[in-house]
Amino acid sequence: MNELVLALGWLGIYAPMALGTVASAIGCSIAGQASIGAMTEVDSGYGRFVGISAFPSTFVIYGIVIMFTLNREVTPENAGGLFGIGILAGIALLYCGISQGRACASAINAAKEKPEIFGLALAPAAIIEGFGVFAFVFALVISAGIS
Amino acid sequence: MSTQDSYTALMCSLPRSERLFVDRLPPLSRLRLNKRLRALSPEDAKVLHILEHVLSWQEYDIEITEAQAVDRAKQALPLIPHSTLRRLFMDRMELRSAVAALRLRHRGEPAPIAPFGFGRWTRHIPAHWSEPTFGLDAPLPWLKQARHLLEQNDPLGLERHLLDTSHRQLKRYGARHHFDFEAVAIYVLTWNIFDRWAHSNAEAAAERFEVLSQQAMAAFGDINLEGTHP
Repeated sequence: MNELVLALGWLGIYAPMALGTVASAIGCSIAGQASIGAMTEVDSGYGRFVGISAFPSTFVIYGIVIMFTLNREVTPENAGGLFGIGILAGIALLYCGISQGRACASAINAAKEKPEIFGLALAPAAIIEGFGVFAFVFALVISAGIS
Repeated sequence: MSTQDSYTALMCSLPRSERLFVDRLPPLSRLRLNKRLRALSPEDAKVLHILEHVLSWQEYDIEITEAQAVDRAKQALPLIPHSTLRRLFMDRMELRSAVAALRLRHRGEPAPIAPFGFGRWTRHIPAHWSEPTFGLDAPLPWLKQARHLLEQNDPLGLERHLLDTSHRQLKRYGARHHFDFEAVAIYVLTWNIFDRWAHSNAEAAAERFEVLSQQAMAAFGDINLEGTHP
């Protein structure tokens, strides 16, 4: 039983990193495809599209920081806490990354036709980033209570 | 990646469908659209072909009978796996059935005995043949205006009204789809509407030119073809 609990603890430590990577990979892929499509339609502003498509890459950084914060000796006493925080923070980052990729793709699609709405079109992606930051910060705060 | 995002690059490489109706020059030719559609998977390309084969008027011979058109739609429906596209398909075929019924009645034909057309109203329409809009005011609110235009002998106005109704249907279904196959199919069907719209504009322009040229020729009736005055 103890082995399983310890394994879950290790899973919790690495989950934010792994799920953050998946989030960034999928998010950047969706937004990147949108920017490639938009580049075939417009004659300028390619750099902006590529820049937006890199937005979801922040989630892997949040995941790495959470992983280092949770990283400690895993014991049967702290394994449950590590698992809970790590898995839930990772899932939150995963959803935020994929959703931000979609929001960026929509922003690129809209901005290719109306460059004047470029800034406003990024607002949904920025709001989603805010949710990801909440998950990140409170994972750090609450992990301080684990022995 | 989910099918929800499978055609992100393709959709972003197309001009917004609203632009099709406002730009003076078409922002996308059929040739260019077909080039972009090469990104579709073979299965999706097949479904799109089936949809266009039934819903695009260019795919119909002028001598096709109502029974043949209904058969074509019945054969196509089971081959469309996407629920949104199936509902859209049904809506469009019901629109066509109702308009065909209006036209038949306008020509003075009696109520059909057999079920008429395709969709939910095949028995309802013959049963309510004498009512102005076949008792379908609530489910098909556009039918009233269509009947009005038909009775006023305004074929161009009717064509535009039907294209506008079809376009609004497509927009309604497209609101839930952004980068998936349904979004691509709805875009192509919107392009087809734009194409018919552009043709109806060209036909209207040709008619107008004919009338104006006849008026101009009447005003200068004494000019002969050689350009010399008698």
